[in-house]
Amino acid sequence: MGELAKAFEIPIGPVHPALKEPIRFTFRVEGERIVGVDIKPGFAHRGIEFMGLHRNLVQVLYLAERICGICSISHPVALVQAVENAAGIEVPPRAQYIRVIVAELERIHSHLLWAGVAAHELGFDTLLHLTWKVRERVLDILEELTGNRVNYAIPIYGGVRRDITPEQYPRVQEMIRYYRGLFEELCDRFLNDASVEARTRDVGVLEPDEAEALCAVGPTARASGLRKDVRQDWPYLVYGDLGIKAITPEDYGTEPRGDVYDRIVVRLLEVAQSIDIIERCLEEMPEGEITFIPKIPALLAQLKKAEGEGIGRHEAPRGEVIHYVRLEAGKEEPVVWKVKAPTYSNLMSWYPMFEDQEIADIPIVAASIDPCMCCMDRVHLVRGGREELVWKEELLKLSREKTRKMALGNG
Amino acid sequence: MRAQEVLAALKEALGDGFRDGEIRTRTVGVKSPQTIEEVWGRIDRGVLLPAVRALKDLGPLHISIISGADVGEEIELLYHFAVGFGTEGGEVMVTLKLTIPKSDPVVPSLCEVLPGAETTEREKIEFLGVRFEGIPDSRHLFLPEDMEVHPWRKDEPELAGLVKRKVKWEERDG
Amino acid sequence: MSVLNALWQAILVLFGGTFLALVYKGIDRKLAAQMQGRIGPPIRQPFLDVGKLLVKETVVPRTAVRWAFNLMPFLALIAAGTVLLYLPIGPFRPVLSGYGDVIVVLYLLAVPAVAMALGGFASGSPFGVVGAQRELVMLMSYEFPLAVVVVALAWRVAGLGVGPAFSLATLAANPLWAQVGPLGVLGLVLLFLVLLVVTPAELSKIPFDIPEAETEIAGGLMVEYSGVNLALFYLADALKTVAMAALVVALFIPYGIAAPLGISGVGGQILDLAFFLVKVFCVMFAAVTTVRVAFARLKVDQIARGFWIPLTAVAAAGLLLLVLDKAVVG
Repeated sequence: MGELAKAFEIPIGPVHPALKEPIRFTFRVEGERIVGVDIKPGFAHRGIEFMGLHRNLVQVLYLAERICGICSISHPVALVQAVENAAGIEVPPRAQYIRVIVAELERIHSHLLWAGVAAHELGFDTLLHLTWKVRERVLDILEELTGNRVNYAIPIYGGVRRDITPEQYPRVQEMIRYYRGLFEELCDRFLNDASVEARTRDVGVLEPDEAEALCAVGPTARASGLRKDVRQDWPYLVYGDLGIKAITPEDYGTEPRGDVYDRIVVRLLEVAQSIDIIERCLEEMPEGEITFIPKIPALLAQLKKAEGEGIGRHEAPRGEVIHYVRLEAGKEEPVVWKVKAPTYSNLMSWYPMFEDQEIADIPIVAASIDPCMCCMDRVHLVRGGREELVWKEELLKLSREKTRKMALGNG
Repeated sequence: MRAQEVLAALKEALGDGFRDGEIRTRTVGVKSPQTIEEVWGRIDRGVLLPAVRALKDLGPLHISIISGADVGEEIELLYHFAVGFGTEGGEVMVTLKLTIPKSDPVVPSLCEVLPGAETTEREKIEFLGVRFEGIPDSRHLFLPEDMEVHPWRKDEPELAGLVKRKVKWEERDG
Repeated sequence: MSVLNALWQAILVLFGGTFLALVYKGIDRKLAAQMQGRIGPPIRQPFLDVGKLLVKETVVPRTAVRWAFNLMPFLALIAAGTVLLYLPIGPFRPVLSGYGDVIVVLYLLAVPAVAMALGGFASGSPFGVVGAQRELVMLMSYEFPLAVVVVALAWRVAGLGVGPAFSLATLAANPLWAQVGPLGVLGLVLLFLVLLVVTPAELSKIPFDIPEAETEIAGGLMVEYSGVNLALFYLADALKTVAMAALVVALFIPYGIAAPLGISGVGGQILDLAFFLVKVFCVMFAAVTTVRVAFARLKVDQIARGFWIPLTAVAAAGLLLLVLDKAVVG
């Protein structure tokens, strides 16, 4: 038994069915119990910050959009705020509302996506399929409003690129009713299911003091009972007007335990919160301009003259996103651009969560912070660079056709 | 918490070590505009830990990120803290800048006071070649362990060879 | 019965059983997909899967124990196929009736699990090892309640004095439901439920699919298997599913419909055979298909605890009720 009783190592990742994105965990296990873990991210580095330092600010915006496919509104929102703060650009009120609406739509889609993934990690594929079926609705609305299911290309420095037209209001409101009607059932399916509870209660616990010391953000921190939410703590856009409160399991009527179950609770409640926010924004949104400077060359000229530094923050579905930008007069590109994605902050929280868990808990605990490796990794040097991207024109053509079809109302 | 309190606390704790302290304000919101205040300041590396302790005494402290830049012969590090993290409307962003010479790129690690700083410090190790004294784990985080180049240093000779700026379609589109 | 006769019967049962097993697997997948709101694969998909696997390269990892790694799939398939020969197929007596009883069937059902575990150990992959450990823990967990069920039934049948009690043919020919009083019926219901819970565990289906647990250990036992070896395991799994369902049918619902309807001869036999297949399907649908869409995967300690204490207690209660019933009915 001497040999068997000793710990042995199990590598999870960089490619593993439980991981939707590459990261490597090396677990030391004794039988089924985890006694140690080492985490190595960095497999999805693309060198985005580095690339950004060699491109003009509008190109940087495109890059920021592509930091992550799911937070593809969160990063641009943070970046444009940072640049607006640095260059002193005012954003028209309507544009602020539109940013908030799209950001909250993204939160709904991201949380539903996560809920499905979590169900899959638990081996509960039925719930995965049902959740993702429901999620299609918000993606349809996002496509309707922005033209894309991902990479919405909505924020631009000083405003947004697309208005929400009066004809679109009823469709968004219909979506709001759809999710309101479904919400009870969704909660019931996740929170009152015995097998889900058996797999998530007291699993992957993160104590509040650990969460604070390790600088956890987003639903991960809130599930531990810390009322931390950038939208609440550090008002930006119109979030200050909306009076947003951070959600913890207390709002569901239970003591926060900081386990995976609580993270499900928080995320589901945030879906409801986002629905309310969108509804209010639609009601309160004033008419008016949507950009500060509509023409991109003029905007670039203005930004080239700007000098200063600024911070932009946003509460992405997974937590705090922060961008720091420094501009110098006469330079088109930012001198410094630093991006922080939520998973970056939550990475350290994994260590206490994995402590003393079982192998069976690995997928759900890993998934419970809703990790987004491509957000976190960002920076990498492309060795040699890619030579051919011949399909770009083709893709562009297809997407333009789709947009045209939608514009004609045939989509 | 008000930005003035933070500024006063920093001045009191650090004395001459804290310079160029300023409060930047701006207004956010449409219906009920609010004023957001940010504290910016410059410190010496010697007083980094006292500064963080002083900030921690003011309320829950969160380190958002450490930004860094290569400014010629020196490296500038910007510590972005959120003081009072988790207090409704009461969070103050504090940015502390410090410069260190490239010949001696050493700063004390925050991990002892704020364990959550480890990720961002490890990133600075590999990207800027900064050394953190007292960091529990100084391996590379994102980049391969054997990578000697620090990509954010502007004077790295090998950098140009590793990066290809333009891909083909960009030229065609342009 | 001549040897030759037995031989062609066996071949018929094995080929027919394999064909049906794959058809049932296809139906199971289709129905599960429909219940999950998906379209699902065509019913012939398992045939395509097996066909594809058979022409694929069979890779043996360098760290594997080669002979054991290659032997285990055959062992699993042979054991799963042999079980079919011991089971009464509708109106027909088991092909090997008289050469083994229900205890042999229990052992044979355990063989594929053991073979998979050994294959997992032999594969030399940490995932395979973890999966194999889990498979063995599972085996130890569900065998006890299963044995209690079978022993309870056999003991009661022995009390009737109608032939060798542990013979499946006897068990199937003497359904107990009509022989016992109300207490006994309650006991039988409990035992039936226990057997239905054991079935998905025996077959390693969600919520008991922990030895393979795709999202945890990436397929566990099966992770290193490919090509022909994987196809054999796949077939063994399909056969075992049918065998387990047929065992449940033989133990608890061995009724035919030809006799009550007054149809005899070849027509009656065909009708009974069809009815038997329907029963097997119903058991599979209830114990495998619906269960695997309705639950999340459990953890190994949860399963072990659940099987050892509550489920065994229920099985023991069923046994006790049968004993009491015997005392009352006599």
